[in-house]
Amino acid sequence: MRLPALLLGPALLVNLAIFIAPMANLAALSFHEARPSGGVGPGPTLATWASIAEDEYYIELVTGSIGVALGVTVLTLLAGYPLALFIHRAAPRWRNLLMVACISPLLVSAVVRTYGWMVILGDTGLVAAVLRFLGMAKPPRMVFNLTGVVIALVEILMPTMILCLLAGFGRLNASLEEAAASLGAPRWRVFMRVVLPLSLPGVLLGCLLAFVLTVSSFITPKLLGGGRVILLATEIYDQAIVTLNWPVAAALSVLSLAVFGLALLLYGRLLRMVEA
Amino acid sequence: MFRLSRRTVLGSALAAPFVHRVRAAEGMLTLAAYSGIFEDNYRAAVVEPFMKANPGIKVVYYPAGSSAQTLGLLRAQKAAPQLDVVLFDVSVAKGATDDGLLEDISDLAVMKDLLPMAFTKGVAGAAGTFDNYVMLYAPDKVSPAPTSWKDFWNPKFKDRIAITAPPDIVGISFTLMANKAWGGGDYRKSVETGLAKIAEMAPNVLSWAPAPDPYTFIIQGQADLAVGWNARGQIYSASSGGKLAVAIPTEGSLFQINNMCLVKGAKNPGPAKRFIEYALGAEAQKAFTERMFYAPVNTKAQISAEALARTAATPERMANMLDIDWLEIARIRDGMAEQWRRRILTKR
Repeated sequence: MRLPALLLGPALLVNLAIFIAPMANLAALSFHEARPSGGVGPGPTLATWASIAEDEYYIELVTGSIGVALGVTVLTLLAGYPLALFIHRAAPRWRNLLMVACISPLLVSAVVRTYGWMVILGDTGLVAAVLRFLGMAKPPRMVFNLTGVVIALVEILMPTMILCLLAGFGRLNASLEEAAASLGAPRWRVFMRVVLPLSLPGVLLGCLLAFVLTVSSFITPKLLGGGRVILLATEIYDQAIVTLNWPVAAALSVLSLAVFGLALLLYGRLLRMVEA
Repeated sequence: MFRLSRRTVLGSALAAPFVHRVRAAEGMLTLAAYSGIFEDNYRAAVVEPFMKANPGIKVVYYPAGSSAQTLGLLRAQKAAPQLDVVLFDVSVAKGATDDGLLEDISDLAVMKDLLPMAFTKGVAGAAGTFDNYVMLYAPDKVSPAPTSWKDFWNPKFKDRIAITAPPDIVGISFTLMANKAWGGGDYRKSVETGLAKIAEMAPNVLSWAPAPDPYTFIIQGQADLAVGWNARGQIYSASSGGKLAVAIPTEGSLFQINNMCLVKGAKNPGPAKRFIEYALGAEAQKAFTERMFYAPVNTKAQISAEALARTAATPERMANMLDIDWLEIARIRDGMAEQWRRRILTKR
C-alpha cells in the first residue's frame, strides 16, 4: 500500500470505533421491537419501522421538521446576506471589527441565547412593549410556539451563515461590477447577474449548515417551543429519555441521518451545477 | 488444624495490600435518586444521618434526572451494576422488576412496619416516599385560592397556565384529574372526556413544557396556575416567600409512589440492605417528612402535627384520593401521550 493511504489509517480506525460502530449499533437497535415500560424485544424485526411508516404522526414529524428547517434556512439567508455583503465591502480597518461583532454571539451558548429570547419575546418583553407602544392592544404571543423558535433559531444561526457567505464572497471582484454598470446595467441587475451568481457557493454552504443545524436543533425548540414545537431531535429525546422507547428513537435517528445525507447529496449536485 | 504452608504465607503477603481496600469497598453503596431540591433534602435528612450512625459505610448519591433515566441506567449496566439502591417511580419500578433488574427484599425486618399501601403487587422493593398531585398558583394573582381542577378552564387564566405534558407523569395525572372533574368515569375504560376537555382549553396554556419546571414559572411570574407535586410545592412555597402556594382541589388528588429497591447483582448488598432498612425506618421517615413533606411510609414514624398537615397524609385528604393503579397507567401511558400529541399539543 502507498504511504498516503497508510496515513489515513489512524483517522479511519478512530472513525470506525467511535462513529461508524455506534451508528451501526443504533441502526441495529431500530430493528428490534419496543416492549412496554421500556424493554427492548429480540430482533431482528421490521415492526418498529412498520409502525413509523404507518403512523401519519411520524410522517408529519419528518416533513414538518424539514419544512421548519427550510423556512429557518431561507430566513437566515435573507437576514445574513445583506450583513455579510456590507461587511465584505466595508473599509478594511472596519471589516475585522464588524466581523468580530457579527460572529461574537457564537461565544455565547445557544442555551443562554434561547433564554435571552424568552425574555425579549415574552409577554412583558421588549418586543411586546414596542408593539403596545405602537398601538397594538394585544401583541401576538411570540414565545412557547413556532414563531419564537423560528426567530431564535434564525438569530442563533446567523453567525454561521455570515461566516459561510463571507468565505464565498472571496470570488467577488469590484471590477466585474463596474464593468456591468458601465455597460448600462442598473444596480439590481448587477446584483442579480453578477454578485449573486458569484456568491452562490457560499450561499449553498451556508444553507446546508443552517438546514442541518436546524433539523438537529434541540435546546431551542425544547425551551422556547412550549411543548408545541415537536421536531426530530426533540422527539428522539422524548422517545429515548422519557418514554424509553429506544427502538423508535433509534429509527428516528436513522431517519434524521438520512435527511442529512439527502441534504448533502443535494448540496453536492447544486454546487457542481453552480461551478459548471 | 491450621497449617502454615509456604503458599498461604506467600498468598496472604501478596493479598495484604488489597485487604484494606476490599473492606473499604464493603463499606460503601451507591444510591440513585432524584436530583436538585430532592437531593439536597434527602442527603440532609436521610443520607448524612445514616452515615453518622454507620461510620464504616459511605453513601455515594447518584443524582438522576428522572425515573426513566434511572431505569435506562439499570438496563445499560445489567451485566455489571454500578448502582446498589434505587429510588424511582413505582410504574417504572414495575418495568425494572419485569426485566429482572431488581432483587426481592421482602424479608427485610423493616417491611412489617410499613403501610399496606407501600407494597405494589408484582413490583420489587417497597415505597420510600408518598407524594400527591396538587395545583400550584401565584397567591398575589389568583385570589381567592383555586378550589377546583375546572379552574384551569376559566378564560381569565388565558396564557397564564403551565402544565408539563405527557409522557411525563405530571401530564398523565392531569389527564386523569380532568377526566374525573368533568365526569368522565373510570379512567381504566376511557379518558376521552378528559382529553376532549383539555383539547378545549389547550389554546389558553402558555407552555406545555415549562423549563426548568412549573414551580419556577410561578415563582418568576411567568404563569399563575400550574400543576405539580405537593412536597416540592411545599418547599418552594416556603422558600419563595409566598410567591407560590399549593392547593388541593375539591375533586381530590392522586398519590405518587417512589419505590425503594435493591439492584439485582449489586456489588454492595450488605450496606445497601442496611441503608434500605434505615431509609424506610421510623427515624428517617420522620426526618424526611418534616423536612420535605413527603407523606411517611412507616406506621411507626411519629410526625409532628404541623408537618403532617402539609403532606397528603391528613385523613380528609386521604379520603379524597383518586385510587390510581399505576401499573394500569403504565399500560395506557403511551396511547395517552400519543393522543396528547395529536389532539392537544399541536392545537393552535
